[in-house]
Amino acid sequence: MRRKKDNAWYALFVIPLVYIFTTVVIVPFLIGIGYSFISWDGMPLNEKTFVGMKNFTRIFSDQRFLTSALHTVLFTVISVAVINALGLFFALLVTGKLKIRNVVRTMLFMPYLIGGLILGYIWKFIFTDVFKMIGETTGWNHFFFSWLLNPRYALAAMIIVTTWQMAGYIMIIYINGIQGIPEDVIEAAKVDGAGFWQTLLHIKFPLIMPSFTICLFMTLSNCFKIFDVNVSLTGGGPNNATEMMAMNIYNEIFSLNNYGYGQAKAIIFFIAVASITLIQVAITKKREVEM
Amino acid sequence: MKFKKIFTILLATTLVMSAALTGCGKKEETGKDGTNPTPTKAASDNQEGNGTKAADKIVIFQSKVEITDQLEACAKAYTEETGVEVEVWGTTGDDYLQQLKIKLGNNQGPTVFSLAPGAESQELKAYLADLSDLSFVNNIAANMANEIDGKVVGIPYTMEGFGLVYNKDLINASKVTNYDSFVKMLQDQKAAGVNGFSLSQESYFLIGHILNTPFALQADPVDYINKLVAGEVKLQDTPEFVEFAKFMEAIREYTNNPLEVTYDKETGDFATGKSASIHQGNWSYGMFKDYDVTFDMGMMPLPVTGNDKLAVSVPTCWYVNSQASPEEIQAGKDFINWLYTSETGEKYMMEEFGFIPVVSNMENPNMDPLSQAVSEYAAASKTISWPMNEWPAGIVDVYLKPVTEEFFTTNMSGTDFLVKLTDAFVQAGQ
Repeated sequence: MRRKKDNAWYALFVIPLVYIFTTVVIVPFLIGIGYSFISWDGMPLNEKTFVGMKNFTRIFSDQRFLTSALHTVLFTVISVAVINALGLFFALLVTGKLKIRNVVRTMLFMPYLIGGLILGYIWKFIFTDVFKMIGETTGWNHFFFSWLLNPRYALAAMIIVTTWQMAGYIMIIYINGIQGIPEDVIEAAKVDGAGFWQTLLHIKFPLIMPSFTICLFMTLSNCFKIFDVNVSLTGGGPNNATEMMAMNIYNEIFSLNNYGYGQAKAIIFFIAVASITLIQVAITKKREVEM
Repeated sequence: MKFKKIFTILLATTLVMSAALTGCGKKEETGKDGTNPTPTKAASDNQEGNGTKAADKIVIFQSKVEITDQLEACAKAYTEETGVEVEVWGTTGDDYLQQLKIKLGNNQGPTVFSLAPGAESQELKAYLADLSDLSFVNNIAANMANEIDGKVVGIPYTMEGFGLVYNKDLINASKVTNYDSFVKMLQDQKAAGVNGFSLSQESYFLIGHILNTPFALQADPVDYINKLVAGEVKLQDTPEFVEFAKFMEAIREYTNNPLEVTYDKETGDFATGKSASIHQGNWSYGMFKDYDVTFDMGMMPLPVTGNDKLAVSVPTCWYVNSQASPEEIQAGKDFINWLYTSETGEKYMMEEFGFIPVVSNMENPNMDPLSQAVSEYAAASKTISWPMNEWPAGIVDVYLKPVTEEFFTTNMSGTDFLVKLTDAFVQAGQ
């Protein structure tokens, strides 16, 4: 009896979610796979031609898509490293003996509450107008110029804005992990004569492995799929130097009207992101330790 | 049994919830654009079988954001005169086409909408109703209505023209007639501490409009575009484009970097006399209202290979959704007919929207100086067309803008620039 009641409660919470997930994710996804085999401009009354695997084979000779994949990988690798390093650093800072830690925590988390689009526009102003102004008044022209006009610096700008947005959120997850470590373990380490670094590397890190798993997963998938900051900050420019994969797909479908081809790109994109994140989760999961 | 009871309640809750959730979803989707979720079909359902009796409600969705407020006032006036309710959907302009396509594709399309005649209307031709039987169609100026397969489907809004908008105090238009005099003007202005000419970073203001001129100078622009996309001709082998590239090199050398200039800054600098000329159209006159402009301005052609004609055409046309019910189509046509033939309609088109007349029975006595220039050039038949509307869809944003950004941030030669533009056309046309 008891068990059945539990099941009913489970169902109460799970069924609505399953229903929504099926209708807005699974079904469109399956339809999308179907679209990737046809050549179509997206308007129901216009002609759809079945082209088989042609959309997929075309991807591998699409220089622009491959370049955007390269940008995405570069962007993701650097951003994930920087976001996690900073997030962890902030988490250690605000769980320490800092007096104003609650204020710091709030302020670090704040950027996450602002939408990516708005953040992009704010920073666009900073990178172009403010930087130029600083450069003109101080004379440090080699550093303070309009960053968004230089391909390399524009990518750096994207990384900075993404980090600024995500680091606070990642920090919260790490804080949670750090606070979950029992006091006695830390104390025992101290009694045994472990210093700050020894405690950190051999006690704290292994015990917050679950946080690493979550944080790496979230940053990896978020950075791969970055779109809002991309659109508002650089718009893919200058000269496509910051066009990420998501934006390339968006352009293919909504600007160039190649619905089927864009959908094929999206499927490849999905497979890439899914396999990379799953491999990451498998690796970090293995290193988690039980208390 | 107890379990059964719980299960029934659960099932009921789930059903209610899912219904509620889907309901919410729909509302949100349409609510975002400040629109009403009522599907346009509902209004006419009760009149089924009445042939072409007009529906009592129409929905308008159009891309010209400058006239949104005036159009709403106009819609109210129409409702007062005829009793037909008109709903105007808002847009920010940037993603209008995507929004429209999504709505048309889902059968939730507006009754009356706008498109740029050319590639856009060709793509959506299955959705365009035949408007040939409107009473004033024969009064539309030659080649201005959008015809597809011999039927008039698009009614032009207005004429628009672009070229060099210049400050009459700083530039003598009669002295800028070819490449050499254009460059001399840039040098003279620079020596005097004024920026001689300005583009701005938005894709059409950066490359779209200015690249239109050499295309329009071809003997048969549409044929040229088809050959270009097929790889049969190349920009770098065509004299008009070679000279165009020289213009671009001169602009890069003697003026400010357009990538650091926004539309606001471009027009602001011009209005305050910091720029002597900008590549813009008569639509930009509205931007000068906020400034206390102390000089006279005019518009002259971009003198590529001595060109002395302004690029004038119809930027947007009205279309009626052929997928709406017959009653709605009729109501949509009635509205357009009213707009172009009634006194109130004409008053709104001319005075409130500030349009340049495209039908012979209208005239606009208080045009701004730029529209005046366009209208004069049109009257003297000194106009070239807008082949840019025939370019492959999306090319300006996705291909031409990046290439131009590269041109303005590096030392790329004009020839390389043309080679890259040629590649862009071939790729975009795939």
